[in-house]
Amino acid sequence: MLWSVALLPLLLAPLVYLAGRRVGRAGLTLGTALITLATLALAGLAVANDWSGGYRWSDTLALTLDLSTASAVFALVVPLVALPVIVYAGYHESSARLMALLVAFVGAMQWLVLAGDLLTLLIAWELVGACSWALISHRWGKAEIPRDAAQAFLVTRFGDLGLYIAAAAVFAGSGGFGYTDLAALEGGLLHVAAGGIVLAAAAKSAQVPFSPWLFAAMSGPVPVSSLLHSATMVAAGLYLIIRLQPTLSDVGWFAPLAMGIGLVTALAGGVVGAAQGHAKKLLAASSSAQYGLMWLAVGAGFPGVALLHFVAHAFMKAGLFLSAGLAESQVGSYRLEDMRLGRQLPGIALATGVASLALAGLAPLGAAWSKEQIVATANHQALWLALLVMLAGGLSALYATRFQLLAFGRMSRSTREVRSDRFAAPSPSPSEAWALYSLVGMTLLLSLWWWPEAQHWMVEALGLRLPESHPWELVVSLVLVLTGIVLGIALTRRERSSASSRWKSVATGWFGLPTLIEGLATLVVGTSARLARFDDHGLDAFVHAAVMRVRSASGRLARFDDGVVDAGLHRAARLGQWLARCNATRGEVLAEGVPGSLSRLTDWGGRYARQVQSGQMHHYYAGIAMGLAAIMVLLGIGVFL
Amino acid sequence: MILTAALGLPMLGALALAGSRRWTEHAARRFAVLVSLLSLVCLIWAWLRFDPDGALFQLVEEIPWVPSLGMGYRVGVDGIALAIATMSALLFAASIAYPVDTLGQPRQYYAWLLFLQSVSLGVFLALDLLLFYVFFDLSLVGMYFLIGRWGHGQPQISALKFFLYTFAGSLMLLLAIIGLYLSVDPYTFDMRVLIEQQPLTGTGLYAGLVFLALMLGLAIKTPLVPLHTWLPQAHVDAPGPASAILAGVLLKMGTYGMIRLPYAMMSDTFTRYAPVIAVIAVVSIVYGALVALAQRNLKRRIAYTSINHMGYTVLGIAAAAAFFDEAIAARQLALVGATVEMVAHGLITGALFLICGSFWQRTGEYALDRYGGLARKAPLLTAFTVLAAFASLGMPGLAGFVAEFQIFTGTFAVYPWLAVIGIIGILITAALFLDLLRQLFFGRLPSHLTDFPDLGRAEWGVLGILALGIVTIGVYPRFLLTLIEASSQILVGGR
Repeated sequence: MLWSVALLPLLLAPLVYLAGRRVGRAGLTLGTALITLATLALAGLAVANDWSGGYRWSDTLALTLDLSTASAVFALVVPLVALPVIVYAGYHESSARLMALLVAFVGAMQWLVLAGDLLTLLIAWELVGACSWALISHRWGKAEIPRDAAQAFLVTRFGDLGLYIAAAAVFAGSGGFGYTDLAALEGGLLHVAAGGIVLAAAAKSAQVPFSPWLFAAMSGPVPVSSLLHSATMVAAGLYLIIRLQPTLSDVGWFAPLAMGIGLVTALAGGVVGAAQGHAKKLLAASSSAQYGLMWLAVGAGFPGVALLHFVAHAFMKAGLFLSAGLAESQVGSYRLEDMRLGRQLPGIALATGVASLALAGLAPLGAAWSKEQIVATANHQALWLALLVMLAGGLSALYATRFQLLAFGRMSRSTREVRSDRFAAPSPSPSEAWALYSLVGMTLLLSLWWWPEAQHWMVEALGLRLPESHPWELVVSLVLVLTGIVLGIALTRRERSSASSRWKSVATGWFGLPTLIEGLATLVVGTSARLARFDDHGLDAFVHAAVMRVRSASGRLARFDDGVVDAGLHRAARLGQWLARCNATRGEVLAEGVPGSLSRLTDWGGRYARQVQSGQMHHYYAGIAMGLAAIMVLLGIGVFL
Repeated sequence: MILTAALGLPMLGALALAGSRRWTEHAARRFAVLVSLLSLVCLIWAWLRFDPDGALFQLVEEIPWVPSLGMGYRVGVDGIALAIATMSALLFAASIAYPVDTLGQPRQYYAWLLFLQSVSLGVFLALDLLLFYVFFDLSLVGMYFLIGRWGHGQPQISALKFFLYTFAGSLMLLLAIIGLYLSVDPYTFDMRVLIEQQPLTGTGLYAGLVFLALMLGLAIKTPLVPLHTWLPQAHVDAPGPASAILAGVLLKMGTYGMIRLPYAMMSDTFTRYAPVIAVIAVVSIVYGALVALAQRNLKRRIAYTSINHMGYTVLGIAAAAAFFDEAIAARQLALVGATVEMVAHGLITGALFLICGSFWQRTGEYALDRYGGLARKAPLLTAFTVLAAFASLGMPGLAGFVAEFQIFTGTFAVYPWLAVIGIIGILITAALFLDLLRQLFFGRLPSHLTDFPDLGRAEWGVLGILALGIVTIGVYPRFLLTLIEASSQILVGGR
């Protein structure tokens, strides 16, 4: 039964594509929204009734689905976030193909979070990647977009290799693929499996050094980015380490590595976000940074905290991407300096402001509470770690402020006059606005997390373990957040002159990581070109020469054939002709003469025969001998004729 | 009788086409498709009658010919042979049905295709070494004429290169077969006897030489790097359907031969040399993928991915041979994976080469940079190419994944490092196929392609059936795996 949660959207997606062109925009949006709602309802039923599922491929290969705390939370959050995004997409993009792919994407993600073994997980893992490729290359007409989609796919697929290796290691150790088999592994194989899983998860959730693929993914339409960053794809990496944390933490290097990766990504992503001038890329860097914080929490041994921060982040980040899309359709680009739409879209600006404050981590929003929990988990490990997490929090306050003020701040009078001449973009449709408001509404609702009763209930229901927190953490955090906000305001003031300093260009480009990745790709392509030349001129040349030699040998044979064998035939033919000519001249004489002389001979023979009837035996004998000789001569003549 | 019918019907069909001058193009094509489908139906019937719990070889037919020399007409199947033969018959039906310019000689074209179908099925169904060899060689003749007479570019040279190179391989194979024949007492060409007796166990140098000759002959056909250079040129100059058969069916004779002859008949020797074979296979995987990535010609690129994919198959076979008694589950997984890879590669690459044929029919060009932006002009062509490309790069839900996952998982348990290096192949394959899709279908539409027509009904009908096969194996591989597991379990010594 659990299969239905994943299969319903996956199987209905082709139908959306085929029917989508006939039912019009409203029908298409309604249909896909209903499918998402049905998925949500099924997920709810599944969680309530603790469904599971299995499907055998062969004696060795069996696919299983089952529910854990993390998968239950994800399975509910995914359709819940997807619903407003899909409604938005119906009005913002209105393409049957895009809608179908979004539905399929939700289905693949549900499959991923419900998987009960590594084979099932791997299937969904790769399907999610393929869906994201198709979604990012949605506007394939521009030459660079399919290239970006391919880059995103390839970087994440490089991570996927880790999952292949992990699955193989689990099989080598236990003969199965289940998460329980993974937990039972020992020794080297456990290290290999854990390494593969961490590689796959880090690549998917855009941690350092894989972060730049998220920038390439920004070539996709807004709803795609919104879904990709909040609840699917990028979230998949986090889901995996949350789900497998109990096993992974048995490996000594996992905790420091996960915390290290998370911390570096959180700080670097914060700086990148603070420097970015492209609305979606700013948000993309912030996604990396926020997932970095969650990685840190998992590494520190509190996957439940990461799970909660994921929920808060999902709603708030989905909303922010949608408003970036609304801003883009007003001004025609994602350049933050062109926006400042506070006056044109006051409602949208206010709603975005709430989401931005959540991203900044300002109490009393839910995201602030979950971020404080991460600070507490870090403090569990070391004080300096907690301070660095707080610093990362300050950075997120800074870039959130920048985003809000640049995208939806008020512009100076002079630019407004210039703007009003140029643009007359339609205001967002109610559906698009509704999508944003509902996501912001959920963000507001999560403020309940500050209420101790709610915390208690949640911890009970999910069976979570929360770290002990201290009041001073909150105070220092708050100070840093406010500093970040103030700095953000100051930065945006100065940013009117769009001077780009050197450090800024380094920071906006992920500190040269893309160049590194491109360099690797160039290396591979260069090697392949060299190998191809070797293949043609080195390896093949030998064979080609051999074939050509055979051909030339056959050519020589052919000449021999023409010159010698054929010449012989030719001569034979000429001989025949010559003989025929001889026949015509001399043969005629014979042919005419012989019969004539024969008749004369017979005549003469008759007269002679009468004479020779002498009765004397020796005459008879001589006659017979002469006759025989004549016959022999005749025969001889006949042969030659 | 059912197997004889499967391989005899196409031969009779070929004779009927060759014997009369009165066939029209339409009638010849229709007749050839019908005969080819009848042969497929025979094999499906054989599949239904096959008992997975039964003996290794089933549906055996035997007619002694020269009993004193151990020659005879012997056909029969195990699960591996049956799976590959059925795939081959399906691919033949698809290739025959695929519309192509027969250059005014439809009768001869379809006759050669049916002849080739008959002898190809013969290779997979034969249980007699001599018969196997005869069919193996006759397949070269059929393909030689298809490339030489209906090819483009420099078909004569390509066909000659193909013929000479693979024929050299056949001669090695013949020597090895004689070597095997002379090692049993009494002399026999019966494969079952050879598999049961393992006559070359412990004969050292003699076994090594026979193994070397066998593997050389089969590696040329497969082909493995560095014996592969006949392949790209033969593909580029062959007509689309002939390419599909060359990649889909003829290459399988090499890997099928490895399972049937050296793996089954001299498992002791194979085990000794398995690491070498595995290393060569990994080289083929990575080398094939890298060289394919650099190709700027559509058909050459796909041709090189065949080398990569056949490398996976050989890696699976080598892993299955790695030990004698240990790691049975992993080795079985590798062998099953190798067989599924053969079936999957046949369908996937067959479809890709048919698609190449469609491109050639429309524009007469394979250069990738002459294309672009076709996604809107030809949505059906785009859809089928995307599906086949993703299947080829190993996307789950499609046939390639089922094969490659099993090969890697099985191999990892035996040769972990080789598996890890080999798995890089799927990343490079992904890169080259995404690049291929981008160049063909995305970006701006060049002006000379504004009249590019989408797939016709006959084309998408055929591709649709192949796609159905690819998806079915991807989501419901059980029907195929049950059949293959039955035999591979016996072969790896698990039953």
